[in-house]
Amino acid sequence: MIVDSLVFPCRDLVERLDAAGIDRAVLCPPRARGETYAQLNDRVAVAARALPDRLVAFCRVDPLVPGAVGEARRALGQLGCRGLFLHPWEDAFRVTDRAVDPLCALGAPVIVATGYPWVAEALQVAELARRHPGTTFVATNGGQLNISGLGQTDAELAVASTPNLHLQTAGVYREDFLEGIVARHGAERLLFASACPVFDPRLELLRVMWAPAFTDADQAAILAGNAERLLG
Amino acid sequence: MHVDHLPALGWELEAAACVRRLDEAGIDKGVVMTIVDAPEVNPDALELIANACAAFPGRLEAFARLHPWYDEAVELLERAISGYGFKGLKLHPVTTIAHPAVEETLRLIRAAAARGAPTLFHCGDEPLTTPLAIARAAEACPQATIVLGHMGGYFHVDEAIETAERLPNLMLESSAMPYPAKIREAVVRLGPERVLFASDGPACSPRIELEKVRLAGLEPQAERLVLGGNARRLLERVR
Repeated sequence: MIVDSLVFPCRDLVERLDAAGIDRAVLCPPRARGETYAQLNDRVAVAARALPDRLVAFCRVDPLVPGAVGEARRALGQLGCRGLFLHPWEDAFRVTDRAVDPLCALGAPVIVATGYPWVAEALQVAELARRHPGTTFVATNGGQLNISGLGQTDAELAVASTPNLHLQTAGVYREDFLEGIVARHGAERLLFASACPVFDPRLELLRVMWAPAFTDADQAAILAGNAERLLG
Repeated sequence: MHVDHLPALGWELEAAACVRRLDEAGIDKGVVMTIVDAPEVNPDALELIANACAAFPGRLEAFARLHPWYDEAVELLERAISGYGFKGLKLHPVTTIAHPAVEETLRLIRAAAARGAPTLFHCGDEPLTTPLAIARAAEACPQATIVLGHMGGYFHVDEAIETAERLPNLMLESSAMPYPAKIREAVVRLGPERVLFASDGPACSPRIELEKVRLAGLEPQAERLVLGGNARRLLERVR
């Protein structure tokens, strides 16, 4: 069983998942361009209902837009979305902004697009997670998007200090970083994700499948068990 | 690939580890360089790399990673190429904070070019390393071959390809950059002779980086150039 903990809608999504051998995926709305997040939440919910064995829907809101909490409640309730996806960079808000707190207090798991300077750095996401110890947080991209590896120390500090924070694997080119997170903090802190179509699921899967230090149990947890436990 | 001894970071990047990872991936040869910028931190960095290559003849080639601000940097480059047989210059403006287009940097690029040696820049999303910053150096040194390492990182890949379309002395290098489709796009837009495979090992997986190029779905002849032909051509023209 392989669960991709982050994908976005695209025309050939199922074909891409099939090509990589991915069984299920968490479908999150893309950035709203000319549409509201309510419309996009409806759309991912419909897609997930059409393929209930393959897709799980998460909803998305812009916390600074009035009515965001109400829309999140609607999506998590009526639409059956299993969690919340926040993208501070694309929606231009600081993840530690107090407007985010009521969303995190809803109790659903929260995936945060992480690694973006000024608004969604690993330690900022950790600070948000620390305010809400009863909520599960998942940071995308290993908590850092830096081709020099400069964000790795902050990302690991975030994991070490915040037990309710987990990292996704998408786009993390440093094998030693992924292996180090598992060795020092446990395989239960890492979730496979491809962020398809941003990244290529066939390549992203190899970051877990070919990491020499991962045991079979590690792989099973990273590829599916953690996502099933944390994200439903 | 990187060879270095960095107790402050807890890193032991051994030449043997590089060769082991090359073997795992079925790669014949790797180009190695330090993490530090000689002569800063380790004045013997060139010797560290020279010894690594000597320990694995035929498997490892050397680039000199240098700090442009040091007066002796050109002399070190000369020693690296003439004395130790290094094949290129590596510049990493994140660690040196030397802009690619300031005179201290340009003199090194020109010195490398005078020996037929390429300059490999770390090229990502950080200030001082973006394709357009490095383009200023490429414009100032049209005789130099400049390689954009990581071909723009996560968010500057399109700009790296566009910049290389404009400047014929730029080449792109594939390591760490996470989009196989962009390797194919670069080959289509620039020609297969201007794209180089690299792994950034041993901390990154050469096996995965190699598979990334294969996922790009290049024509066999183009893939052969990207995976080896282009690098061999660059290494062989150093004099």
